Amino acid sequence: MSQSKSRLSLLFSKLFPIFLVLIAFVSFIALGFWQLDRAAQVKELQKPYEEQPLVALSKVSKPNSNLDGESVNRIVEFSGSYVAQFDAPNQIDSKGVRGTWLVGLMEVDGGGYILVVRSGTNSDLPRGDIVVTGRLFHRQYEDLSDRSAGQLSRLDPSILVGDYPGDYYDGFVLAKSELRDGISLEVPRVLLDPAAPTIPGYYWQHIAYVVIWWLMALVVVFLPIYSRFREREGGANEGRSS
Amino acid sequence: MKGVVLRFRVMALLAGIMSLLLWFVELPVVYLMDAPELEAKVKWIPFVHGYVYAFYVLTAIHFTAKARFTIKRMIAFILAGTLPIFSFIAERRVSREYKF
Repeated sequence: MSQSKSRLSLLFSKLFPIFLVLIAFVSFIALGFWQLDRAAQVKELQKPYEEQPLVALSKVSKPNSNLDGESVNRIVEFSGSYVAQFDAPNQIDSKGVRGTWLVGLMEVDGGGYILVVRSGTNSDLPRGDIVVTGRLFHRQYEDLSDRSAGQLSRLDPSILVGDYPGDYYDGFVLAKSELRDGISLEVPRVLLDPAAPTIPGYYWQHIAYVVIWWLMALVVVFLPIYSRFREREGGANEGRSS
Repeated sequence: MKGVVLRFRVMALLAGIMSLLLWFVELPVVYLMDAPELEAKVKWIPFVHGYVYAFYVLTAIHFTAKARFTIKRMIAFILAGTLPIFSFIAERRVSREYKF
């Protein structure tokens, strides 16, 4: 019984280091591949943005879910009715002009609220069922002004949840057009370039990290071999000296 | 051995300088300052640091293996290149121990 126990502990003491080395090796290789992916993404982002076909909002976003990176910048179409309108001061358009944007809160047919940037100038809130076509953007994280009644400090649906409880679509839509009963509502629209998603770092920087992670994977494999080599060498030296 | 020590010392100094630049120049410029022009000027630092560190690791392994150091010391020498100052300390110790 005790012999089998000691055999088991001997097996464990031999297998455990191998297991640790394997985990470290696989982790470093995986980290290398992760950096390789990031390098490829950086290269991809340097290409000019390609417009994708119009899609229904429900196909690329759901209420109460974070906006997928691939959904950002998509031109979406949806319908619903506006329930409120706010000013969003200090917003900057594609020409770098700072201004107050008019933002509607729309209750989308099928459920959920969404923020719609309607115009750069004052305009009445349209009543009835409106069909909106516009570009989907990620929510803003930084306040650009103070928050007060009728004013949004940033374009982020989470700041309205207290006043208008319900399900919210993440991000906001920059309206290109609004149709009521098939007739376009003519208001001066805000122009904004497609958001440029960024990945920190540069292509060759990520490749350098690939080199380092994979080098570390080799080092992890090399260390036990080196250790065994040292032990053998030590034993041989002892044998020679005796 | 002389060449191995010299290569390690050179790479330790270079890795130390690059670590200092990374920690005290590049990272503050990118994450604490809003200065895109300055950011563009320091963008070479992280990837030069990456390659220098890779070579540092190779020279550290070569040197510690030749010097028959223990695994623990070898790992300590490898990790010394990741933090500023530590590779300078490693370089000083080696230069004191190995005088040619």
